[in-house]
Amino acid sequence: MDRIIDLSLHLLDLLQNSAHAGARNITVSVIEDQEADLLQIAVSDDGKGMNSSEQARVLDPFYTSSNSKKVGLGLPLVAQAAAMAGGSVSIDSNESGGTQVSVSYKLSHPDRQPLGDISATLVSFVAGNPLIDVVLEYKGPEGVFHLDTRQIRTEGEGQLAFIFKFEEKLRGGLSLAGYRPDRGGLFHEINGRS
Amino acid sequence: MKSMEDLERLKEETLQDIQLRTSSGSPRIVVGMGTCGIAAGARETMLAIIDELKVRRKFDVAITETGCVGLCAKEPIVEVQIPGQPKVVYGNVDPSRGRQIVVSHIVNHKPIDQWILNVEDNS
Repeated sequence: MDRIIDLSLHLLDLLQNSAHAGARNITVSVIEDQEADLLQIAVSDDGKGMNSSEQARVLDPFYTSSNSKKVGLGLPLVAQAAAMAGGSVSIDSNESGGTQVSVSYKLSHPDRQPLGDISATLVSFVAGNPLIDVVLEYKGPEGVFHLDTRQIRTEGEGQLAFIFKFEEKLRGGLSLAGYRPDRGGLFHEINGRS
Repeated sequence: MKSMEDLERLKEETLQDIQLRTSSGSPRIVVGMGTCGIAAGARETMLAIIDELKVRRKFDVAITETGCVGLCAKEPIVEVQIPGQPKVVYGNVDPSRGRQIVVSHIVNHKPIDQWILNVEDNS
C-alpha cells in the first residue's frame, strides 16, 4: 500500500468513492496558489451522501461502508499525505445527497507529494465510468483550464472515441495552464532525481 | 397458479435475458479500481489497455471498472468477457500483461492461461 505516491492517485481514489456513492456528476478542482503557498484538491459529487456518524468515521482505517472487507484505507491515506505536507482534509456531506471532499497541502512543503499525472487519473476514471460526467477546474501558474465532459460528448459516438478525444483536450489544456506532473516538495524532487 | 401462457412468457423472457448476458453485445473489460487496485497500478493498466485497443483499432469494446473484490494481493485484476464465452478473471495485470490480453484474448479470442485466476462459466 505504499505505492500511492502522488496526489493524482489519491484523487483517483476520491473519484472512486464518488462513483461508489452513485454520483452522476462530479466536479474536480485543482488549485495551485503560489502566493498563498497552497495547493488545494477538491472533489464534489451528487452521490448519496453520508450521515453525520458516517462522516465522523470515514478517516478511521477500520471503518468501511463495504460488507465484503474489514478496512477502508482510501480517505485515511489521503488524510495522512495531507497531514505530512502541512495540510488537512475537510469533508462536507449531506444525508440527502452530495459530498464535497477538499484536501489542502502547503505547496512548498518538503514532504508534499508531487501532483502526478492528473490526465491519467481522469482518463482512466472516465473510461471506467461511462455514465458519469466530470467537470475539471484547474488553476495553475500560467492560467486556468476548464473542461466539462458534457460539452465534448457527441451523439452516437463510441465510448473509446470519446475517451481519446477527452484525453487530447485534457493534456493540451493542462499543459497550457502550466501544469507539471513532477512538481513536488523538495523531498520528493530529490528522490525523483536519485 | 400460473397458466400455461404465463409460463411460456416467463420462459421467453428468461431466454432473452440469458441471450443478453452471454452472446449479444460487445466484448467487455472490467478493471479493479479500488484503493488496492490503484496502489498496485490499475490506472496504468487501464491506460495501457485503452491504448492497445486504439493501436489494434478495436473500438467495439465496453470498458468498465469495479472496486475491491477482496483479492488485494492479486491486483490489478482484470476481467474479460467475450459474448458467448465464459468470463475470465486475470490477476497481477501490469500494463504489459494488459496489452497482451487485448491482443490475445480480445482480438484473437485466445485467453492467456498462466495469468488466469478464475473462469466463470455463466452461460
